[in-house]
Amino acid sequence: MNFLFHGKRISGLLALVPQNEASFLEEMKNFNFPTGRSLKLKEVMGYDKHRLVQDGVCVSDLAVFAMQHLLSRGLLDRDHIDALILVTQSPDHLMPPTSSIIQGRLDLNHDMFCLDINQGCAGFIVGLIEACLLLEQPAVRKVVLINADVLSRKTSPRDRNSYPLIGDAASITVIDRSDARDVIYANLKMDGTRHEALMIPAGGLRVPSDAATAVLQDVGDGNLRAKDHLRMDGSAVFNFVQVEVPPMIESLLGTAGVGLEAVDWFLFHQPNRFMLHKLADKMGIPYAKMPSNIVEHFGNSSGVTIPMAIVSNLAARMLGERFRACLAGFGVGLTWGSMLLSLGEMSFCELIEYPNAGAQPQNDA
Amino acid sequence: MLELPQLDAGIILADCEYWDSLTVLSIIAMLDASYGVHLSAGEVRAMKTAGDLVAAVEQRRRP
Repeated sequence: MNFLFHGKRISGLLALVPQNEASFLEEMKNFNFPTGRSLKLKEVMGYDKHRLVQDGVCVSDLAVFAMQHLLSRGLLDRDHIDALILVTQSPDHLMPPTSSIIQGRLDLNHDMFCLDINQGCAGFIVGLIEACLLLEQPAVRKVVLINADVLSRKTSPRDRNSYPLIGDAASITVIDRSDARDVIYANLKMDGTRHEALMIPAGGLRVPSDAATAVLQDVGDGNLRAKDHLRMDGSAVFNFVQVEVPPMIESLLGTAGVGLEAVDWFLFHQPNRFMLHKLADKMGIPYAKMPSNIVEHFGNSSGVTIPMAIVSNLAARMLGERFRACLAGFGVGLTWGSMLLSLGEMSFCELIEYPNAGAQPQNDA
Repeated sequence: MLELPQLDAGIILADCEYWDSLTVLSIIAMLDASYGVHLSAGEVRAMKTAGDLVAAVEQRRRP
């Protein structure tokens, strides 16, 4: 499905990671695998450190902290937020929406549209599409898109398949009306028949959580996880990405009439460095144009990895320069989507930390 | 790593020193890159010998 938008742009981007950092080398002792093979995995996949929330920290905590950072610095005006979209798969509660909880904690206006979107790896793209759709309404002039997840809390520390690459993070993206000549192309596809590839089996209504769903089980390959935990079929996801993403990008660029070499940056969801390099090789994209360093420094924070890739690698340049960027997200659902847009001349583009309990915030005043 | 053309078909994959999930994933990546063939981890693990793997790849390569 193709989308076409005029007169909208990203005017600011803030990403936030927990101050708490853990490393693969420390965590290796929790896995049932020989040290040598774990070290080889670290090297091949590109694992090193990841940021994890401390006990009890929720998505609304990260989101409110990030929003207050912007509000207190005058980078965002609370009276001008017409829509607040939260993309998350680790909400505070099943009910009410976490976007409503955030709206309440920030004491925002009643005249606004709040929406939770249950999306993961493709969530930033889905959220941007939703923001653009809302901005077509006369009453909506500014949308705040929050992507946030605390999936480390739903991942087994004894699962070497998943735990090393998981990271927690949040991002705030401000999308505004702009010059009508700003064109955004996007596309999106869904395939629910393959939904089991990325899943948390228990905790919803199909398989409610109980004592049994919390029990760690050896899933047959030496990894231990419970039905309450995230489960990812690595090879299924790898094949899905290699098969579906290249034609999706080709279609997007074809519709826009833009050649591959005319794109400045490929800012893709970061499953891990190994998969991104294989994808870049397949598509003939130089590694320099496709940042792939988020997982090794911060972990895979699902939908937040696209904002993380931008903020971590290009923060200073996003203030003064303007780029033609191709964004892509692919994963949970299965969902895959991409977007071609102009990025830059932002009012803010920075990475901050959510302080550990008892610590003082280290972010600049 | 296993080079497909020069394989002894009788090699039992599970007996290889580094036959683990990382090797399986590396094979999957190599099959995609070199042959445009997609096998799942389950399919690769179901192969007993190197010959089985070669046959599966050849079968999928046929247009």
